[in-house]
Amino acid sequence: MISPIILYAMIALGAVGVLLALPRAKASFALPGFLIGATAGGIVIAALGSKALADGGNLPNMYFYVFGFVALAAALRVVTHPKPVYSALYFILTILATCGLFLILSAEFMAFALVIIYAGAILITYLFVIMLATQAPTEEMVENQPAFDRVAREPVLATVSGFLMLAVLSTLLAQGVPTLKTPPAPESDALLAELPLRIERSLRERNTLGEEGGILPTESLAREVMQDGSAGQYIIDVANRTVTVQVDAEGGARRVVSWPEDLALTNTEGVGYELIKAHPGAIEIAGVILLMAMLGAVVLARKQMQIDEDAKRAQAQGLAGGEGAAS
Amino acid sequence: MMISPLLAAADTAGVGVAPAWVLAIPFLPMLAVVLTTLCAISKNKTKLPAWITVGCLAGSFVVTMLAFMTLSGETNTVTAWRWFDLSWGDGVGQQMVANLGFYIDNLSLLWMMFVTGLATLIAIYASEYMEHDVGKGYTRFFFAFALFVFSMLCLVMGDNLLLLYLGWEGVGLCSYLLIGYFYKKPEAVAAAKKAFIVNRIGDLGLAIGVMLTFVHFGTLEYAELFNSAQLQGYIAAVQEGRAGDVPLMAQLIAVFLMIGAFGKSAQFPLYVWLPDAMEGPTPVSALIHAATMVTAGLYLIARMLPVFLVSEWALPVVAWVGTITALLAATIGMAQFDIKRIMAYSTVSQLGYMFAGLAFLTSTGGVFHVVTHAFFKALLFLCCGAVMHGFAGQLDLRKLSGLWHMKGWRIVSVGMLIGCLNLAGVPFTAGYFSKDMILAEAFVTPGYGYSLLGWVLLLTAGMTAYYTFRVFFRVFTGPVQFEAGDEHHGSDDHGQDGHAHEDHAQGHFHPHAPGIRINAVLATLSVLAVLAAGLYFVSPDKHGWVGDMLEESTAHNVYTADHSAAAMFVIDGDTHGAHGHDDHGHADDHAAHGAHGGSILGMDPHKVMYYVSAVFGLTGILIAAWAHGPKGLVSGFIGGRVEAGKCRMDGVAAKLGPIPRWAENKWYVDEFYHFILVRPLRVCSHIFHMIDKLLVDGLVNLFGYLPRLLGRGAQPGQSGVLHGYALSMAGGVGVILFIVVMVTL
Amino acid sequence: MIATLAQAGFPEAMSGLTLYHYLFISAVMFVLGLIGFVTRRNLIVMFLCTEMMFQASGIALVAFSRFYLEYTGQVFVIFVLTVAAAEAAMALALVVLLFRRNESLDGSVWSLLKG
Repeated sequence: MISPIILYAMIALGAVGVLLALPRAKASFALPGFLIGATAGGIVIAALGSKALADGGNLPNMYFYVFGFVALAAALRVVTHPKPVYSALYFILTILATCGLFLILSAEFMAFALVIIYAGAILITYLFVIMLATQAPTEEMVENQPAFDRVAREPVLATVSGFLMLAVLSTLLAQGVPTLKTPPAPESDALLAELPLRIERSLRERNTLGEEGGILPTESLAREVMQDGSAGQYIIDVANRTVTVQVDAEGGARRVVSWPEDLALTNTEGVGYELIKAHPGAIEIAGVILLMAMLGAVVLARKQMQIDEDAKRAQAQGLAGGEGAAS
Repeated sequence: MMISPLLAAADTAGVGVAPAWVLAIPFLPMLAVVLTTLCAISKNKTKLPAWITVGCLAGSFVVTMLAFMTLSGETNTVTAWRWFDLSWGDGVGQQMVANLGFYIDNLSLLWMMFVTGLATLIAIYASEYMEHDVGKGYTRFFFAFALFVFSMLCLVMGDNLLLLYLGWEGVGLCSYLLIGYFYKKPEAVAAAKKAFIVNRIGDLGLAIGVMLTFVHFGTLEYAELFNSAQLQGYIAAVQEGRAGDVPLMAQLIAVFLMIGAFGKSAQFPLYVWLPDAMEGPTPVSALIHAATMVTAGLYLIARMLPVFLVSEWALPVVAWVGTITALLAATIGMAQFDIKRIMAYSTVSQLGYMFAGLAFLTSTGGVFHVVTHAFFKALLFLCCGAVMHGFAGQLDLRKLSGLWHMKGWRIVSVGMLIGCLNLAGVPFTAGYFSKDMILAEAFVTPGYGYSLLGWVLLLTAGMTAYYTFRVFFRVFTGPVQFEAGDEHHGSDDHGQDGHAHEDHAQGHFHPHAPGIRINAVLATLSVLAVLAAGLYFVSPDKHGWVGDMLEESTAHNVYTADHSAAAMFVIDGDTHGAHGHDDHGHADDHAAHGAHGGSILGMDPHKVMYYVSAVFGLTGILIAAWAHGPKGLVSGFIGGRVEAGKCRMDGVAAKLGPIPRWAENKWYVDEFYHFILVRPLRVCSHIFHMIDKLLVDGLVNLFGYLPRLLGRGAQPGQSGVLHGYALSMAGGVGVILFIVVMVTL
Repeated sequence: MIATLAQAGFPEAMSGLTLYHYLFISAVMFVLGLIGFVTRRNLIVMFLCTEMMFQASGIALVAFSRFYLEYTGQVFVIFVLTVAAAEAAMALALVVLLFRRNESLDGSVWSLLKG
C-alpha cells in the first residue's frame, strides 16, 4: 500500500481542511478549508494511483476519479453548508456521484434504484420538511440563517475524533485488503442454467429477430423423461453453452441449439435472483418495516399539539435556558 | 420389689381403639370455628355466633359424656389422620411419626368433661354478657372462644406430645386474642402482650422438653413412650435405688417440661401475667384463666408423671415452687381491692396448691382440686363478672356494698357465697376435701422439707379464707351503697347510649341486674359446686371418685408406686421398713398411709387434717368477719362496718406500716422484673438497634451510596445534548479501533 | 459510454488495490457524515448526515460485491435502503412534530436527559 507517512499526513491535512470548512460564527474559511481538504484527498488518491501503476497498470476506471472527487466534495459541502436546503441539494449530488461509482462497479440496478429512491423520493421529502419546518423569514433576516445553522458545535473535537477514526480505518483497510483471497471464477453461466426460461426467451427473441439458431414458436426446451413418464429437468449443457430443444411436441425428434453468444445474466436479474433465492424472509420483513414506518409517520405527523401559545413560549424559554446553562 | 406396678399395668392394659365418633369431641368446636368465621365473612350482626358456639360446645359435651360412659376405665386411641411422617434413616429415633390422634383414658376424660361442660355453660353466660358488643366484636369473641376449646381439647386429648404442643400454643394464642379483646384499651393490649411473652418462656421450656423426649426416647406418642423398655427401665432403676443410673438427659426432660408447666399455669416466677390477664372479658377470665387453660400445666405433669418420677429434682422443685406461689399470691391477694384481681391471685395461689399436690405424689389430690377448683372458681369469676356487668365495670370492693339486699342480686350473692365457702375450705364443701388431701399428703410424703411446706400451705389456707370472705363481706353484706364504674356498656345493651351517658353524668345510675341466662348459669354452677363435694364420697377407699378415675391412668399407676420410689431416692436407699409396702398393690393403699410413718401428732394425717384445716379456714373467716363484716349480727365482734369504704382493717393496716402497701403493690415483683429483665433487655435491644442502624444499615447504605457518588461524579458528562452523545460514541469507536490497530500491528 | 460501463454480467476480477480505492472513498464519506452529525445543530441536516453514512456503507458493500463477483453485497444495499427510507419517514415526521412544539430545529434545545 502507500506510504503510511503520506497517508497520515494527508489525513491530518484533510482534518485541518474540514475544520476550516466547517461553518463558524465570524470569519468564514470555507473556501480555503475546501481547497486544503481537496488537496489532501487528491494527494492520497494520486498516491494510490501511482502505487497501482507501479503494480502493473491496474488503475481503476478513469471515471472513478471523477465520481469519487464529486462525491467527496459534495459530501463536504453537505456537512459544511450553513443552509439546510443547499445541504440537501449537495446531498443529491453526492448520491448521483455515488451512483456513478456503482455503475463503474457494474451495479446498475443499485445505481438506478438509488437515484429513484434517494434522490427522487427521500431527498424530496427532506426538502419538503425543510420548507415546512422553517420560520417564515422576516424582512431583516432574509439573509440571516439561525445561529444553530451558522455555528458548528465543538468542531475541533468532532474533527479530531472523526479523522482519528479515518486514520484507524484506513490503516485497518490497508492491513486487511491485501490479505483478501482472489475471487473465484465468474459464475454467471451456472446461474443462467438455473433460469432455463431466460435462455428459452433469448432463443425465441433471436428467432423473432431473424437471426440464426433461434427456436420456433412450436418448439420448446426439452426435458428429461423420468421412469414414471413425468417430465424431469430441462436438458441444459452449461459447459458447452447448449440446450436440447423438443422439435416434435409428440415426443419424437430433438435437436441441440447453442446459446446466443452474448447471453449473460444482467445485473438486475442477478440481484433479483439472489434476493428471491437467498433472502425471501428478509424481503417480507422489509415490507412490514416500510408499512409500519408509513403508518408511524402518518400517526406522528397528524398529531396536533394542544399547547397554547403562552405555555409553548414558556416551555421554549425553559428549554433554551437549560441549554444555556449546559453550555 | 418384684416388678413395677406401672410395668405390670402397661403390659396388661394395652391400648385399644376408640370408636370414631370420639373425633366429634374436638371437631365440633372446630366446626364452630369455621361457622363463626363464615359469620365474620358474611358480616353477621346478630347473636348467631353465640348460638353456634353454644350448640357445638354442648354437642361436644354430650359426646364427651357418652365417651365417659362407654370408654371410662380403658385406654383407647383414635386416629383422625397421619399428621407427620418424617424419616431420615432406619435406626431408632430416626423416624418421627405423629398422628392427629386422640388418647382417651380416664385422665383425659376428666379434663375433657370439665372443659367441655364449663365451656358450654360459660358460652351461654357470655352470650348475654357480651351483648353490648353484638355486631362489633361478638363474632370475634366466639370465634376465639371456640378455637380455644378446640385447642384445649387437642391439648388434653392428643395422643402425642406434638399434638399437645399444638394445643398448648393454640390456647396461648386464644388467650392472647381474648385478653386483648378490648384492643382499644392500652392496658388490655399490654396485658395481652405480657401474657404472650411470659408464656413464651414457658413454651420454650416445653418445646425443648418435647425435643429432648424425642431425641432420648425416639417417640412422641404416649402409648409408645410409657410402654418403652427404656422408661420402664429407668423407673425400675429408681425404685431399686439406682437413681444414678438414669442418664442426665432423661432427668432434664422433666425439668424442661416443668418450666413449660410453670409458664402456662402461672407459677412463680412466671405467674405475673395471670393477674393482668383479667383485662379480658370476664367469661374469658372464668374459662381460660381460672378453670381450664391454667390447668394445662397440671395436666402435663400428671400425664408425664412417669417421666417426672425418674428425675431426682423435678418434683421437689415443683413442690417448693407451688408452695411459694401459693403463699406469695395469697399475701398479694389479701391487699388487693379489685375483686377480679383478688380472684386472679387466688387462682394463682390455688394452682400452687395443685402443683404442690402433684409433687407430693398425690395426683389424686392435685387433680381433684383441679376439678373442684374449676367449678367454684368459674362460679366466683362469673359472679364477679355479673357485678362488673351490672355496675358498669366497677370492681373496687371499697365502692360496692350490700348487694345481698338489692333486688335481683340474690342469685349472684348466693353463688358468691357458695364459691367463697368452697375456696375458703369450709368443712364439707368440695374445696375442703380436695385441699385437705393435698395438705395431708404434705406431711406424709418424705421429701426435702415437705412438712415445712405443709405448714406453709396450712397458713396459706387461712389467708385464703380471709381474703375470700373479705370480698364477700365487703361487697355483698352491709349497707347498700355503690358507685358506678366508668364503663357504660351496662347501659349500652338497653339501646339508649346517649341517654345512658347523660344519666351517668348526673349521677342517676341504675344497677343492671343480671338476666335470665346469667342467673341460670350461676345457679347451675352453684349446684355443681355444692355437688362436687359428693365426689369425695363416691369411692372413699380410693380417695374419692377422682382417685377411682385416675386408678386406670398413668398418673395413678405411678401414684401407687410413688412412695417407695420417692423413698428410694429421697432417703438414699435407706429403706424404712414402713416404706416398702407397695408389693401388696393399691387396694389397701389408703390404709397403708397411716402405717408408713408420715403422721401428725401420731394420728392418720387425713383425719387430722380434717380438723386442722377446718380450724385454719374458720379462723380466717372470723378475722374477715371481724374486720370487714357488716354492722349487726353480733355487734362488737362481727363487723361494725356501716360504710362501703371504711372498716376496722384500715386501723390495723395503719399499724402494720408499709407492709400492706407493699402487698398491694404485689411486693414490687413486676417492678423487680422490670428492673432486672426488661430494662437490661431494653438496653440490649437499644444497643442492637444502634448496631443495626449504624453498622448493618450503614453498610447497606454505603453500597447504595457508592454508586450514587459515582453517578454524581459522572453526572456532568450527561449534558443531555444529542451531539455530546454522538461525539462520545464516535470517539469511543475511534478509540476502540485505535486499540485494535495498536494490538494487531 | 454507459454501455461500456454497464457490461452484462461481471467483467474480469477486480484487484485488491482497486478495492482499496473504493473503500477509502467510502471511509472518507463516512467520517464526513459523522463529523457533520456531530457538529451540525440543525436536526434535518443531522439526519442528512446519517443518510450520508448509509451511502458510504453502501459504496463499501457494492465494492465488496464487485470484488467477490457475487450479489449479496448489493442485496444488502437494498435492505439498507429500506431502513434508510423507513428512518427518513419516521425521523422527518418527528422533526415536524418537534418543530411544531418548539418552533426551532436546533437539536441542542432538546436536552431533557441532562443529568
